[in-house]
Amino acid sequence: MIRTCLLRVCGLVKNSPRNVSSVSNESADELWKGVTSVSNAGRLRGRAKGLPRKKDLNKGQIIGIGKVSMQFPGLNTPVFRGRELVHQQKLPVDPEREERLAKLRQSIPMRKRMKLSRLEQGWTSAHIGGRKIGPPDSIGGDTFDDFETWVLESKIVTHMTGNLGRKSRISIFVVTGNGNGLAGFALAKAPVQKAAMKTAKNRAGQRLMYIPRYKEHTVSHDFFTQFGNTKIFVKKMHEGYGLVCHRAIKACCEAIGIKDIHAKVEGSINLQNIIKAFFIGLLQQKSYQQLADEKQLHLVEFKSENGNYPEVIASPSKVRKPEEVTSHEILDFTQYVLGGKVILQKKRPPAFYTKLPSFKTKLVKLERTRHFDETRINLLAEYGALHSFLTKKYPEAKLCPKPKQSKNNETEE
Amino acid sequence: MLSHHISKLLRRSYSRAISNCRDFTSTNVETDPTKRDPAPFFFNKEIQQCLETLTTLDYNKVFRTRKDGYKQKPPEFKFLTDEELEEARKAAQYRAKKYLQMPPVVKERLEPSEPLCEDPALQDHDTVKYVFTDITYGLKDRQRSIVVREPGGTLRHAFWKERDRMIQTFLPKPERKLQKPKMFEDEYMKDLLNRNEYEFILDRACVQFEPDDPDYKAITREVYEHINAERHFDVLRSTRHFGPMVFHLVWTSNIDNLLYEMIETNRIEDAALLIRLYHMIHPTTKSAVEQCEHTDDVDFIMHYVRLESLKKDKIQKLLQSYKELQREREIVAEGIKQAHGISSENVNINK
Repeated sequence: MIRTCLLRVCGLVKNSPRNVSSVSNESADELWKGVTSVSNAGRLRGRAKGLPRKKDLNKGQIIGIGKVSMQFPGLNTPVFRGRELVHQQKLPVDPEREERLAKLRQSIPMRKRMKLSRLEQGWTSAHIGGRKIGPPDSIGGDTFDDFETWVLESKIVTHMTGNLGRKSRISIFVVTGNGNGLAGFALAKAPVQKAAMKTAKNRAGQRLMYIPRYKEHTVSHDFFTQFGNTKIFVKKMHEGYGLVCHRAIKACCEAIGIKDIHAKVEGSINLQNIIKAFFIGLLQQKSYQQLADEKQLHLVEFKSENGNYPEVIASPSKVRKPEEVTSHEILDFTQYVLGGKVILQKKRPPAFYTKLPSFKTKLVKLERTRHFDETRINLLAEYGALHSFLTKKYPEAKLCPKPKQSKNNETEE
Repeated sequence: MLSHHISKLLRRSYSRAISNCRDFTSTNVETDPTKRDPAPFFFNKEIQQCLETLTTLDYNKVFRTRKDGYKQKPPEFKFLTDEELEEARKAAQYRAKKYLQMPPVVKERLEPSEPLCEDPALQDHDTVKYVFTDITYGLKDRQRSIVVREPGGTLRHAFWKERDRMIQTFLPKPERKLQKPKMFEDEYMKDLLNRNEYEFILDRACVQFEPDDPDYKAITREVYEHINAERHFDVLRSTRHFGPMVFHLVWTSNIDNLLYEMIETNRIEDAALLIRLYHMIHPTTKSAVEQCEHTDDVDFIMHYVRLESLKKDKIQKLLQSYKELQREREIVAEGIKQAHGISSENVNINK
């Protein structure tokens, strides 16, 4: 005790262990770890929730600028100002500096999140499916300028190896196309998603096939197609109908350039099988000339919106006479194209509530309002406002008060 | 019930008077000699034929996709033999003719002037008019008797406005409104005309009005005049309104613009036919009286233009250039034939 006192007096022992905390012995990283981490057991118990994050305590500090504002030529000011040499000198103290620094350090930095717009995020916000990832890379002088690739499926696949055990990879299934008849699809696996995507889209670019379309908006004819247990019924549709089908088929149609289609998937809904079945069906379509030649009859189109004017689409070199057309022959176009099959069109059963007595009561109650919309429009056209037989007698009683917004506008004006 | 009985009685008693009064091709021609009745001319077979030819049947236009709120269906495909195809084409032709049926051009209707009877005893029997409508099933609208008892005691035939309203009330026609639609009012009409919606206006007018309604007459006249001024004849070509428009222009002797447009678009035969139509309707004009010696269409048009047209220079210049173009074309055709190794003489010999 006496000795230490003596030593202190002499100034030999500089850091007395008693007055100094253990903080100075640890490195900054170790200290941060103590604050920002929990043991595994604690993590399991939920203690990792709401932990503080590592913070940059020197934020806002710039070399050359400090508490005392000094002018250091060559560090925080130029050496020459005009032709004059700038001298090192003290500047008046900035009183707001401390405040600004404190404010800057207190502000919590926003975490950057890659947020895609609703139009770009694909089918859902959680997964990559349906997202567009750009054209395949050009290869050997072939460029894919007007191509676009859609991710159809992304999943983790695993297998067991001898020395690593369970080894997982990312499997990505994509379709690429130029929206003008050319399209291809491919599957690729890689340990990282990015690499898998790149391989898949480049592979799809190498497997392009040409799909003929009717007037560049729909398929040539109705068809049925099957791959494994996945069955698809595809119907050709008129312009403006849109793509009414499975979302993966919709992406394929966009890649190919089909705008109007109706497709129903039945059986297994394995996504890869759906795409394979759809492409097989598209490739197995017959051209109109081929159909006309097979039948040796004119193929004629009737459009109801154009007054059913017969428009010859294809003619064979030699047309059969009516006597030569046998009675048991399939003459219905759709049936012929489906290979003699007839699709069972199930009638949709009425909704369950239509049988309830309350539904009938509702119908009776609503019957009074059945022409309201029409009458409303007619009255508006005729009188400029809702009108009744009493309006003349009581003009002050308005049937439809003016909306508040327009009144406000008037007063403002 | 009461109205029914009364009107039945009335119909019997006044049937003769009514039938005299309401005839489609109005019989009171003699009463108004200043205005000629277009109906006998319009319904003339030859003139109808002319108008039909001038309309030119273009299937693409007749069967175009119309903005009529019709729900589209996927197109239908069929395997047809030659005979069936021909049949389908004929059926389409028949439908096209139906599409092109012209709305009639008739004289404006006249209001019934004389009251049926006057009963002073019934004076001030009520403060309102009584309208009696015959709502018997199966009658034509023109045959339906509608009479009005005035508060003053006179019994008279209903005016046309009253008739239209009663008929639309008791026997409504779809798409016809009780009141005149606002689109036929001046400001809206002008807007429609500026947007070249001629067919829409004319179609709606056909639905809303009877062909002898003064309103119908005024509206169609305005549209035709606007088309003539703007030279948008092609909008109406191959529609049901082209014939009546041509008839109106010929009737008012205002065919120069149409003639010019026809020559401009190389429809020389149509132009000649138009002049023949003009002669049929106005047989006393100069060009009709002085008969043309040439049989060629171009010379025939020249003859008319020289004597009557107000835009002589313009049309003559156009005709000259047309002639030159035709000559050049012949030379080119001859050259092509020679290139193919067929000289015109050979062809003549073969013939």
